[in-house]
Amino acid sequence: MTKRLAETILLLGFIGIGTTLGLAFLKAPSVSINAFESPEAQRIFYWHVPAAWAAFIAFGILFVGSALWFFKRSNLGWRMHVAGAEAGLATGLMTVWSGMVWGSAEWGVPWDWTDVRLNTFGLLTFLAMFLVLGRQSQPDGVETRDTFSTFGLFGFVLVPLTYVATRLWQIRHPGPVIGGGDSGSLDGEMALILFLGAISFTVFIVGHVLMSMRITSLEQRLESIQEAMDKV
Amino acid sequence: MAEGMTYLAVAYLGMLIAIGLWTWTVFSRSNDLEHRLQAVERSLDTIEHEQE
Repeated sequence: MTKRLAETILLLGFIGIGTTLGLAFLKAPSVSINAFESPEAQRIFYWHVPAAWAAFIAFGILFVGSALWFFKRSNLGWRMHVAGAEAGLATGLMTVWSGMVWGSAEWGVPWDWTDVRLNTFGLLTFLAMFLVLGRQSQPDGVETRDTFSTFGLFGFVLVPLTYVATRLWQIRHPGPVIGGGDSGSLDGEMALILFLGAISFTVFIVGHVLMSMRITSLEQRLESIQEAMDKV
Repeated sequence: MAEGMTYLAVAYLGMLIAIGLWTWTVFSRSNDLEHRLQAVERSLDTIEHEQE
């Protein structure tokens, strides 16, 4: 039942993402050629922003899971930690990669090392990569979980820092398009497609987290059976 | 303009393929683990029957 539900949510999210990209490509209005160096590349925005939104949800799940494991020794918390790290890595890479495609077209360089938003988000993605690869290379145990949970807890500091980065230090990354005052207003059709993208990525990431938590649960069950068999 | 849209289409397709592959690996990991677990549980049942 849970498996079917998770699979359905994941597939619905995937279909939603495909629809968003189709609409972004075919229906979204073009931007002014005077405002951008590469106006066509601006359509990357319909992927980049929802992916970043989904990454923040994933890092939120990672933080809650890390706290639940660290303070309550909750197995559910550990499964949330694992799922949050995996989802954070995938959505973080999607955001970074789409941003680099846009940066190459618009700025002429894929990355700007002086921009705070780019670097804090890049660090978040590296943190998720460290947690995913680290867990796979270490035997499961209380000490391993404590170490990775600590990184999940402290690493979350980068989320609010990334969010406010373009408000406090706007260097190269564009400012906020929603909730950023008058300068951040969006055309109605653009906002609608962006909203569909945000909903689709949210559904997709929820489906992934549910599937990932189930996978971790199956792994733990298999491991405990194998340990019991080894003792016999 | 047309060249820009071609690059964009390639980037979009690349991203869709990447996310599709990722979804596929999640599904296959889940199915693979389920099959392994079923196999271990079946072999445990066999051992128990033999012991009886």
